[in-house]
Amino acid sequence: MTPECSYRQPDSQSCNLAQDVKKWLDSLMVSWEGNSVLVSVRNLRKHYGDLAALRGISFDILQGEIFGLLGPNGAGKTTTIEIIEGLRQPDSGSVSVCGFDPARESMALKERIGAQLQSTVLPDKMRVDEALHLFASFYKRSASVHLLLEQFGLVEKRHTFFENLSGGQKQRLALALALVNNPELVLLDEPTVGLDPQLRRDIYSLIEHFRGERRTVLLTTHYIEEAERLCDRVAIMDRGRLVALGTPRELIARSGHGTRLEVRLAKPVGLERLKLIEGVIDCQEADGAYFLHAQPATATIAALVRFLLAQDNALLDLHIAQPSLEDVFVEMTGRRMEH
Amino acid sequence: MPTLRIALLNIRLVMRTKVALFFTFIFPLVFLFVYAGLFARGNPNVVAYMFGPVVTLTIMGSSFWGLGRQSVTQREQGSLRRYRVAPIGPRTILMSTLLANYLLELPTISLLLLTALVFFHMPMKIGWGALLVLVTVGTFAFAGFGLTIASVANTMQEAQIYNNLVWVTLLFLSGVTLPLPMLPRWIQRLAMFFPSTYLVSAFQGVMAQAEPLLDHGLEILVLITSGIFGLLFAMKLFRWEKGERISTRAKLWSGVFVLPFLAMGLWMNTRADPTAMWARSYNVMGQISAPAPNPQAGKSNLIENFDGIQASEELLRRWQVSADSDVSGHSIGEISLLTPGAGGTRHAMRLQGHLAPGPKNPQGYVSARCDLRIPANSEGLRGIEFEARGAPRVYQVGLQPPTAVGSPIPSISFVPGEAWQNVRLPIAWLGNPAKNGLSDGPWLLEISVTGPPGEFSLDLDEIRFY
Repeated sequence: MTPECSYRQPDSQSCNLAQDVKKWLDSLMVSWEGNSVLVSVRNLRKHYGDLAALRGISFDILQGEIFGLLGPNGAGKTTTIEIIEGLRQPDSGSVSVCGFDPARESMALKERIGAQLQSTVLPDKMRVDEALHLFASFYKRSASVHLLLEQFGLVEKRHTFFENLSGGQKQRLALALALVNNPELVLLDEPTVGLDPQLRRDIYSLIEHFRGERRTVLLTTHYIEEAERLCDRVAIMDRGRLVALGTPRELIARSGHGTRLEVRLAKPVGLERLKLIEGVIDCQEADGAYFLHAQPATATIAALVRFLLAQDNALLDLHIAQPSLEDVFVEMTGRRMEH
Repeated sequence: MPTLRIALLNIRLVMRTKVALFFTFIFPLVFLFVYAGLFARGNPNVVAYMFGPVVTLTIMGSSFWGLGRQSVTQREQGSLRRYRVAPIGPRTILMSTLLANYLLELPTISLLLLTALVFFHMPMKIGWGALLVLVTVGTFAFAGFGLTIASVANTMQEAQIYNNLVWVTLLFLSGVTLPLPMLPRWIQRLAMFFPSTYLVSAFQGVMAQAEPLLDHGLEILVLITSGIFGLLFAMKLFRWEKGERISTRAKLWSGVFVLPFLAMGLWMNTRADPTAMWARSYNVMGQISAPAPNPQAGKSNLIENFDGIQASEELLRRWQVSADSDVSGHSIGEISLLTPGAGGTRHAMRLQGHLAPGPKNPQGYVSARCDLRIPANSEGLRGIEFEARGAPRVYQVGLQPPTAVGSPIPSISFVPGEAWQNVRLPIAWLGNPAKNGLSDGPWLLEISVTGPPGEFSLDLDEIRFY
């Protein structure tokens, strides 16, 4: 099951030594962290008429990581993933996936990747096992359909028509279809969109299983929770630009917002005076509560207590909340994520 | 092999859909029963003539409403997208669609053939190989049509409009429903531009008249060309997703698809007038299938050869002419003696006149009738035959019973040529009329002409039982 991304033996029919050596070198390209780069995107641009869907984005995906593209609808996530899949041509920029150029070597690339589309539709009367057997037959290398049915909890439903599957079952089938060729790179476009929270968590468990299999995953999402829970690294996209890139922890740490403190006081205090407390970056009041964004939080809490004692005021309630990717997104774009 | 796998799966999907199953297998059978039972009245020769239109209708239906519609539906529903991320291309999808359509067509047409042979005793004048060639070529050609429409249409609504336009045109103006010899000359000229005309004509030539398949080589070539054009277009204009729109320019390019038909239509209109060939097939409806030499046939079975008649007055005593004046028509018809008759005999009869319909009757009508007695001993007789020649128009010959009877009234249509031709009216019960109680009283032999306005002239001679 260990994914491989190494030198692909050239077949005698299409032997082009220079190209194969280049692919081999590309596939051996190593990041500073020591993992080889499986996907390399450089200065990608794409327009649909007058609309700029991608305005020059660049990132690398390392072997074995779960990489997330996070952003609201229209950010350019699907366009990016479709260019990586070879389904769309960029206007400019370069993409290398498993050592292949998706635009020119689409067929060879498709043998190595598995894709789950944002909405997977199959003919109504197609059975679950038929779909898996059919799509598995398209590849030179295929996974065991029986194992996939077990892994995705579809054994009981293997003879069920697609039209009779629930939303969650359809999504699990879509994920299973993405694995029929035992791919080294799995591309998941909004894998939980439209599902209720319980079904979403089921899908999270399945995707987390990919990590155990050391598969490389690229997923797009507009759910903050999904990116935080699943992704090793996240690229935040907005209006065709990549506005932040890093591990969720790094992004939050880099965020200027700091820890959020929600406090309720015995007597009202002016916001201007609270902003003077050590470590407070910003301060707002709503419904009788004060929201302080603080960095570092510990020093701010100590200074707040000292301030209240000096003012003969009392602390009635205190909540400490770590900043989230949502805060990071707001900071980077000046807007909230639309759900 | 992905193509075969997708094709087989598509067939399974059709088998699981009741509506698709009905339109694939039952609907063509309904058409066969309507054509063979109502139009052909169970006459085996007419069934052979009608079999081609039924098969053409089946092929057209599956191409336009099955294959073409399915291609657009798959794109609109988004099920094609899933194939797009697999290592297969448009060629695999298109070829699998073609293959599934063909593999579904074969049992359907086999079922039609079996029904025609078993229930309607259709004479099989064509070899199995030739039939398979015609079905294969026809399916391929019309699949090209269906795929072109599916490629050009941006939405299902658009596809429905295109399908209906082409479907209705081909249905009524190419011999699929109405035999072309029955239609006005200008429609016949128009029909020469339509591919279904060639398929129907090829089927009727080989099925009804036992012509060699190679006689229809040109038609087959045009049909294959159109299929190739359609396939190339479908590949060129293939779209995986409904969001991908096709430009008006690309739509105009699809006009190239009609070029083979345009060329064929022009050539047929100017050089190789096929109307005589259509008429030949049409006449064959009256010929009995593989008639065995009949020892009873001879002078004793003569009904009328006009040789003993001295003057036209005598002829008028035996034959009555009527026209459409009773329905406000203005048609005129008259009979006269003609010298010499068929094969150099003394006399023949000429029925001639002018069809001029009135306000209540869009088709003119003239008929000539004479009384007829069925021989007491008609054992071994199969029907009535006569020699005919005349201006190319559709004429009918029928045998009216003395009283209303339950059995079908024998009748056929034919188009005469310039030379004398033998026309036969098969009468299924003639071999044993007494048993059916049908021989009592005088019967009426009626020869009539109907159709668009204009002159007509038909010569008749040597009317006899055979």
